[in-house]
Amino acid sequence: MIETMFGALFNLVSTPHTMGLMLIAVVFGLLVGVTPGIGGKLSIAMAIPFVYGMDMVAGAVFLLTMHAVNGTSGQISSIMFGIPGDGDDAATTLDGYPLAKQGQAARALGASITASGVGGIIGAVVFAVMIPVLEPVILMFSPAEFFLIALLGISFIAFLASGSKIVKGVIVGFYGLMLSTIGMDPITGTPRYAGDMLFLWDGVSLVTAVLAMFAVPEMLALATKGGAISAAPMDKAFSYRQMFSGVMEVPRHWWLVLRTSVIGSVIGMIPGLGGSTAAWLCYGHAVQSSKTPERFGKGAIEGVIAPETASNGKEGGSLLPTLFFGIPGSSGMAVLLGAFLILGIQPGAMMVTKHLDLVWTLIWALVVGNLIAVAMLLVVCRWIAVLTFVNGRMLAPFILVFVTIGCFVSDVQWQNLVVLVLFSAIGYGFQRAGWPRSPFVIGLVLGGQAEASLHQALQLWGYSFFLRPMSLVLIGMIVALMIYAFYRNFRSGNGQPSVEVNT
Amino acid sequence: MGMQTLRIAASGAAIMSTFWPGLALAEDGVEFFNGKTINYIVATAPGGVYDTNGRLVAQYMQKYLPGSTFVVQNMPGAGHLLGTNYIYASEPDGVTFGTFNTGLLYGQLSGDPNIKFDLTKMSWIGKVASDPRIILVTKESGIESYEQLKTLKEPVKFATAGKGSASMIEATMFVNALKLPIQVVSGYNGNEDQLAMMRGEVQGVIGSRSEFQQFVDEGKGRFIAQVGGTETDVPQLSTMVDDATAKQVVGLIESQSGISRLSAGPAGIPEDRLKALRDAYKAATSDPEFIEKARALGLPVDPAVGDEVRTRVEKALDQAPEVINVLKEALSEG
Repeated sequence: MIETMFGALFNLVSTPHTMGLMLIAVVFGLLVGVTPGIGGKLSIAMAIPFVYGMDMVAGAVFLLTMHAVNGTSGQISSIMFGIPGDGDDAATTLDGYPLAKQGQAARALGASITASGVGGIIGAVVFAVMIPVLEPVILMFSPAEFFLIALLGISFIAFLASGSKIVKGVIVGFYGLMLSTIGMDPITGTPRYAGDMLFLWDGVSLVTAVLAMFAVPEMLALATKGGAISAAPMDKAFSYRQMFSGVMEVPRHWWLVLRTSVIGSVIGMIPGLGGSTAAWLCYGHAVQSSKTPERFGKGAIEGVIAPETASNGKEGGSLLPTLFFGIPGSSGMAVLLGAFLILGIQPGAMMVTKHLDLVWTLIWALVVGNLIAVAMLLVVCRWIAVLTFVNGRMLAPFILVFVTIGCFVSDVQWQNLVVLVLFSAIGYGFQRAGWPRSPFVIGLVLGGQAEASLHQALQLWGYSFFLRPMSLVLIGMIVALMIYAFYRNFRSGNGQPSVEVNT
Repeated sequence: MGMQTLRIAASGAAIMSTFWPGLALAEDGVEFFNGKTINYIVATAPGGVYDTNGRLVAQYMQKYLPGSTFVVQNMPGAGHLLGTNYIYASEPDGVTFGTFNTGLLYGQLSGDPNIKFDLTKMSWIGKVASDPRIILVTKESGIESYEQLKTLKEPVKFATAGKGSASMIEATMFVNALKLPIQVVSGYNGNEDQLAMMRGEVQGVIGSRSEFQQFVDEGKGRFIAQVGGTETDVPQLSTMVDDATAKQVVGLIESQSGISRLSAGPAGIPEDRLKALRDAYKAATSDPEFIEKARALGLPVDPAVGDEVRTRVEKALDQAPEVINVLKEALSEG
C-alpha cells in the first residue's frame, strides 16, 4: 500500500512529460476559472479532443488538474471586484470584497489562495481515507437527507443577517426562494412563471442572478462614487508582506480550515447535493461557530477561508463516486467521467483492486496541482491586487463588459441579458438601501434543491421520512441552530452591536 | 484536335452527370463545406451521453468534410426543446444542424404547443445508435421474471428522471398500458437512479439497456424484459403482452428505440449539401476509430443514414388514437 502510494508520487513528479502537462493544465484551468460564466465543465468538454492521443495516466492527470484548480482562480474576481464566477464564489465575495475595499486585497487573496490550496489537499486526503468506507457513507444520504441538508443551509440565513437586519434578511431570503420556483415544476411537470419563454423552464440562471446581485451593483456604486475600490490608499504595507500575513491566516485558523475542508469534501462525495451547497454551508458554519460573528460581511478573514477550502475540498470528494461507482458527484465530474472513459479508465469497484496505482496518481495529481496553482497565484496576485487601487471609473466599464460576456456565454441565451439588467436594478436597490443580498443567493441555490428532494422523499416514504435516523439527526441540528440564532439575536438586541451585513 | 478532345470530354462529363446526378451534386456539396464553420448544436448541457456522442460525431464528420470546422455548441434547456427549436428555425444552408433527444417524438405526437418543429420535415442526416429499453429490477427486490413482477400484490417503486422527461413518459406509459404494479418516483437525474437502487429506496427502473449494462454485470440487478434490440438473453416484452393497446404502446417505444442519437438539420437543406453531410456522416460512423471510441465510452453503435432515418421517424409518428391517448394520459400524470 505505502509502496504503491509513494511509487505513484515518484512516477508522477519524475516524468517530465506528465509534469509539463500538469503545468499547462494548471495555467489553463486558472485562466478559465478567472472568467465568469465559463465553468469547469465547459473547459473540460473543450479540452477532451486534445487528450485523445494521450496515454491513460497523462490524459487523466491533465484533465483532473485542470478541473481541480478551476475554482482556485475564481475567487480573484470575487475578492477584488465583488464579481463571483458562480454560486460557490459568491460566498467568498461576502467578506473578500469588503477586505479589498479596506485596501487589504493582497491579504484576502493570500488567505483565500492558500485556503483553497489547503482545502484541495485535505480533500485529496479525505479521498484516500474514505476509499474503504465509501459505499456505506454515500448510501446513507437519500433524498430525505438532501432535503434536510438544504433546509439546514437555508436556516443559516438567520446568521447571515441577524440583529436589526433579520427581517430584511428573511424577506430577501424568501425572495430568493420564490425565484427558485421559476421553471419546471418538479411535481406536475408544468412550467411555472415562465410564460411562453422556454429559457425560463430550467429556472433562473444562477450565474446571471449572482452577477446581477453582486457584480453589477458594486460596479455601479464604484463608478458613481468615484475613487478606487480600496478606500485606503496604497501604502508601504501593501506588499508581499501583506499577502504573507494573509497566507499565515490559514494556519492560524487551522481548526476551521480542517472542518470546512472535510465538510466540503464529504458534501462533494454525495451525488445529488449541488456544489454550491458546500461553500454556503461552510460559510454559514464559520459565522455560526465564530465568537465574533458580527465581523462577518465586513471583512472577516474566516469568511474568505471557509468557502474556499470547502469549494476546493469538494473536488477530491466528488472524484470518489465518479471513480468507484461511475456516478459523478458534480456536473464537472460528469464531463470528466466521459473523458476518463475515452482514455480507457473504466470506473467501478475494480479501480481499487486493479488500478490502485492510477487512483494514487490521481490523488497526488490533486495535491501537486493545487500546490502549483497556489505557488503561481501567490506570485502574480500582488500585481493583480494593484488593480484595486486604480480609479474605479476606469475599471467599471471593462468589468461590466466582462460580466455581460460571462452572463451570455454561461447559457448562450440572449434573454439572460434582459434578466441581468432587471436583476441588476433590484440588486442595486438592495445595495443602496443597505439590505443584505447573500440570503437571496442561498434561497435561489438551495430552494430548488429543497423542493425537488422534498417531493422525492414524500413519494418514497410519505411523511414518515422525517423519522429516518439520519433525518432525526439533521432535524436536531436545524432546531439547535434556530434556538441558538434566537438566543443570540435576543441577546444582541440588549446592548451588543448587531451584525451589519451589507453584501 | 485539342478542341475536339475537350468537346468529347465535356460531353462525356455531361453524359456522366446525367447518369449520376447524385455524384456531381455531392461533389458540389462537399466543395461547399470547404472553409465553412459548422455549428453542431447539442440540445443539452456538457457531460452525459448526448453531449459525448454529439462531440464524437462532430469530430469525425469534420474528418470526412475536407476544409470544414465543426464547432460544438451546447444549447441546453426545456428538455432539449430549446436547442431543437433553434435548429429547426435556423437557415437551411447546411452549416447548422445538431443532435437532440429522440423522446421529442412524444411531444410532437401529443401536440405539445411549445414544439416549433416538425420532425417529419427535418433534414435527416443520420442516427448513431439503437437503444433498446429494458425493465430492470434490483437483486434485493427478489423479482426474477416479468410474470412475477406483473402478479405482485404490493406495488414496487421505480425511479425515473424528472417529470415530463422522455424516460418518465415511457415508464408511465408502460405502467399504465401494461397495468404493472409499479409506483413511479420521478426526479432522479443522470445516474442518481442507480444510487437510488443501491440505497434500496426503489426496486427498479425502466430505461435504456446501455446505461444499465454495467449495473447488471456487477450483479446488482437483472433485466427481466426488453423492447427492441437484437440481444436474445432477455425476453422481448412484446411476446409477453396480449392486450391490443399494450402491444401498440410497446410498438411505439420499440420504433423509438431504433432511432437514437440523431443528427438532423432544419427543413429544406439543399439536396447536394444534405447528400454531402449524409456521406460524411456515414463515413464517420463507420470509421473504425469512431467505433472503437464509442465502444470505450459505452455508447452503442448501430448507425443508419438519411432517408432510412426519416422513414423510421415517420413510422414512429404514425400512431393509432388509442396509443396517443395512453401517451397523453402519461403526460398529464407527468
